[in-house]
Amino acid sequence: MSGTVEKSSSATKTPADFLKSIRGRPVVVKLNSGVDYRGILACLDGYMNIAMEQTEEYVNGQLKNKYGDAFIRGNNVLYISTSKRTLAEGA
Amino acid sequence: MGSTEEESAVKEPLDLIRLSLDERIYVKLRHDRELRGKLHAYDQHLNMILGDVEEIVTTVEIDDETYEEIVRTTRRTVPFLFVRGDGVILVSPPLRTA
Amino acid sequence: MAPPLFVGDVTLPLQFLDRKQSRTQSHAMLFFSYFKDLVGREVTVELKNDLAIRGTLISVDQYLNIKLENTRAVDQDNFPHMLSVRNCFIRGSVVRYVQLPPEGVDVDLLHDATRREARGG
Repeated sequence: MSGTVEKSSSATKTPADFLKSIRGRPVVVKLNSGVDYRGILACLDGYMNIAMEQTEEYVNGQLKNKYGDAFIRGNNVLYISTSKRTLAEGA
Repeated sequence: MGSTEEESAVKEPLDLIRLSLDERIYVKLRHDRELRGKLHAYDQHLNMILGDVEEIVTTVEIDDETYEEIVRTTRRTVPFLFVRGDGVILVSPPLRTA
Repeated sequence: MAPPLFVGDVTLPLQFLDRKQSRTQSHAMLFFSYFKDLVGREVTVELKNDLAIRGTLISVDQYLNIKLENTRAVDQDNFPHMLSVRNCFIRGSVVRYVQLPPEGVDVDLLHDATRREARGG
């Protein structure tokens, strides 16, 4: 049960594959506190520590802060989601 | 996994911190605390030593009569501060903080 | 929940590392080493429950548990129960900050140690 890994199909992706595939993409990172960070995902590691660029901080849906670069400590992360509607991405 | 190629670029998130060494950074902590200070040391837990630190603590009180939220910030400065990493939420080089 | 602050004499699991060990483990030792060098100095330890204790640093271990003597609460009005506490053992995990004596901070040394640790870790 080890040989068949469908790399080509984007439907069968592991969480790790997903995380690898979203580098450089606009994302929303939600923290346990409920705060959202929107920006470009620069990179992340196994602790879910995250480096982001052009980051906007939203508290209760309201823009509260902007950071050129931001490091988010992984233990605070609830989820990472790709977002289509940020900044310079069209499609 | 396979991760021993470049050493200077931002390849893993902690590189962002590494590049901020000896720079003034902004640190957002749990319980509505914020720090600004020069980063002198850190480790992989985000334990840090900061210099020339300004701490801002934000508290929200409810007015007894109007029930309005009163947001208060208290500031203080500390010459050198060790910060335990488990309270850290976010770190940013403040120069590029809008 | 009782506050995780223990008062009295506690024997610390202060680990002594020989050179060989410290080479392989050096990536996790930066602040442990730093605080070991700070032993004997006055520090202010601020806990997550807002209690701030000033005292002489007596010892520290790999978890950054801290032992202080000649302690006093910085804000005695709000923490009068600390009045008679002369020494204490503080679990590392309840520490928020430690205010360091400026003469106990060698910036260049810290930079070098941090870069070394970043490479190893």
